[in-house]
Amino acid sequence: MDEKRARHAAEASVDETQKAQAPDIEEALTPEELAAQWEAEAAEPAGPIANLLSSLVVLGLGIAGMVLSVGLGLGTPSEPAAGMWPFIISLIASVMAIAQVIVGRRGGKDGEKFSALSWYAAIGFGTLILMVVLMPVIGFEIPSLLLCFVWMRWLGGERWRSATIYSVLIVLAFYAIFIAALGTTIPRLF
Amino acid sequence: MEFFGPVLDGFNVVLDPTNLLYCLLGVVVGMLIGVLPGLGPAATIAILLPMTYGVEPVTAIIMLAGIFYGAQYGGTITSVLLRLPGEASSVVTVFDGYVMAKQGRAGAALGIAAIGSFFGATISIIGLTFLAPLVASFALDFGPPEYTALAMLGILLVATISGGTKIKAIIAAAVGLFLATIGRDGFTGAERFTFGNLSLADGIDFVPIAMGLFGVGEILYNLEERHRAANAPVKVSNVWPKRKDIKEASGAIGRGSVLGFFLGILPGGGATIASLASYAMEKKTAKDPSRFGKGAIEGVAGPESANNAAATSSFIPLLTLGIPANATMAIIFGALLIQGITPGPQLISNDPQLFWGVVNSMYIGNILLLIMSIPLIGVFVRILRVRAAILAPITALITMLGAYTIRNSMFDVLLVVLFGAIGYLMKKFGFEPGPLVLAFVLGSLLESNLRRSLLVLEGDPTGFFTRPISATLLVLFVVVAVWPIIKSAIDKRKNSSLAATVAENKVKENA
Amino acid sequence: MSIIVGYVPSSVGEAAVAAAIKEAKLRDETLLIVNSSREGSLVDKNTASEEDLARVLDASLKAGVQAQVIESTYRDDLTEEFLGLADKHQVSLIVIGLRQRSQVGKFIMGSQAQRILLQAEHPVLAVKAS
Repeated sequence: MDEKRARHAAEASVDETQKAQAPDIEEALTPEELAAQWEAEAAEPAGPIANLLSSLVVLGLGIAGMVLSVGLGLGTPSEPAAGMWPFIISLIASVMAIAQVIVGRRGGKDGEKFSALSWYAAIGFGTLILMVVLMPVIGFEIPSLLLCFVWMRWLGGERWRSATIYSVLIVLAFYAIFIAALGTTIPRLF
Repeated sequence: MEFFGPVLDGFNVVLDPTNLLYCLLGVVVGMLIGVLPGLGPAATIAILLPMTYGVEPVTAIIMLAGIFYGAQYGGTITSVLLRLPGEASSVVTVFDGYVMAKQGRAGAALGIAAIGSFFGATISIIGLTFLAPLVASFALDFGPPEYTALAMLGILLVATISGGTKIKAIIAAAVGLFLATIGRDGFTGAERFTFGNLSLADGIDFVPIAMGLFGVGEILYNLEERHRAANAPVKVSNVWPKRKDIKEASGAIGRGSVLGFFLGILPGGGATIASLASYAMEKKTAKDPSRFGKGAIEGVAGPESANNAAATSSFIPLLTLGIPANATMAIIFGALLIQGITPGPQLISNDPQLFWGVVNSMYIGNILLLIMSIPLIGVFVRILRVRAAILAPITALITMLGAYTIRNSMFDVLLVVLFGAIGYLMKKFGFEPGPLVLAFVLGSLLESNLRRSLLVLEGDPTGFFTRPISATLLVLFVVVAVWPIIKSAIDKRKNSSLAATVAENKVKENA
Repeated sequence: MSIIVGYVPSSVGEAAVAAAIKEAKLRDETLLIVNSSREGSLVDKNTASEEDLARVLDASLKAGVQAQVIESTYRDDLTEEFLGLADKHQVSLIVIGLRQRSQVGKFIMGSQAQRILLQAEHPVLAVKAS
């Protein structure tokens, strides 16, 4: 208990904003200042490594596309075969990927760096895949319940009690709407 | 006289109870997601696509359109009250709107925004009513080469004007075009890139891609968001602008509406650019530009009129030429395809009930929004108290269960989740999902028109340039494509000569 | 030495602050006014507006008490956050407001006040709305 308290005390000192005798009303920031504040709060750009990685992935896919398209047969301009159009597209994609490697080698303003919070997105994705796997087997109620609970409790910081109650309410509501009211044939247990 | 017949028929369609109900549903949902940060109109329309399967095409499009222009009304509320734009097109409203709220004029700001939005949308609809049949009749003469050039230009414009790196947007578009080729080739019957998977034989369905990239992708992305401190609930009183305010703002409303109408027609343009341009224009034409940023009502009225006008006029390229002007229009394009309707110049003449039904529903929708937006502000501020942690699983479940109901297929749900991951990664690495979806919906049409053109021109690509319309379009295409390169070269030269001048001056100073 | 009070813009919160000001005057200590809001939503009814905070500070100044406002956010546990602040500033007294709640209400929705009362290591003054 005390360790937790101490940890929170340390965290609180990061979060709290102390005001002196009289708090000032928020100044009207000019549009430039506001834009600067938003940019400061926004996530960092992805950076040169991410740029290189993503461009190489695209290049790889582009080359694969070109190879597969040739396999389908290119034909001639007057009689294009099935592979002509995918080949052209893959070529454009590959050329653009190379261009992007060069243009973006020092990074740029686009994209966002992965942060510790990005794990949340990964966990979210994992729960969705789990739901896809479990839904045909045991119906949608239990996987939905689990998904709601995990998202609220761990990804959202809700307390045990509220997470459980809200999850049950939400699943009941979805049952009422999708099964009872609309009569859809989603796999279900009850 | 012959002109007004179908228009009046359209009103008959709109006043049908089901259509009215779906219109109301659309605008309310639209306003709601405009207020809530996190989900945008594109994502919501994508998530609600399964709802369009059981209803008439008119009804479906009326609802989806309502969501789109309704969101423009909702985004203003958080901009003015909380200094946080609910939508990208409400960013500029923050500058003067929030200051007005701090000055106790929140009601005036919201009221004039609603009035301006209504005017902007209505003027845009009137413009649409007269312009659309003209454009469509002009385009009826288009052959495959013209359509190919037009589609290519449309994709390029959306890719280059949308935010982020142009090259990455073009890559996204290329990926979209490639995904459209998966499946059986219409011309030769060959199976392309299916790797023997039966579910892919008919091609990837559009709906899972849209739901995944925009719906799940957005949801996964929002899981990461750093949460800000909450604001105290705001009480808004006096929600009607004074006569003086209306008078001051009327010029801005007029200018914004016209500006927004024209900027919305351009593919890649749209509500956000319109609002920015309107703010800039108001600042330039004001007698006292220093008022802006300190609560100038024109700074709210102009952009709000412009963004609604642009949202409405962005339907024109879709409904008259069959070219979506932005990602949301691309999703609506897909929705039409699901209903078995191929948008194009023939839409107005083949299915006037659909066209005029949708257009006239916009009048009704905007009236509903004007009536509802002010009284509902209290409700919306209440809704903003719901924590993101609770909304997120609800939207995720709606998407997953909705995806299943398309074809009762778990594979579709899997596709949605996988494309959700792709959409999330694209966002992280700086690739726009909009051009991908746009290119995907246009992909098969573009390819078939290209191949038909080559057949007609007997394999001679230069034939494109002998036809006046396709030649013009292709020249435009080349100009838009190389413009960034030329621009950066000019800038570099300017900078180098500027640097030279500065260096010279420094030398002179130090001498 | 200082006194810490948890403030929300409601009659209960106002009563707590009023009591805290009296105590601070009695003990001749500074007052820490804490307004903590929950992360995750854009609007929270527990968040005090600038006007509220100004008013509360004004009231304590008029009473001759030196006061300071602390605004913070917490993710899931207000009690931990609040008690953490109390530890950090080494307060001599905690003042909180108590709401009327039925037994069932407390069970389902939980009671932060109850948890603070039970877990605090400092003396706690619990005030009901007048």
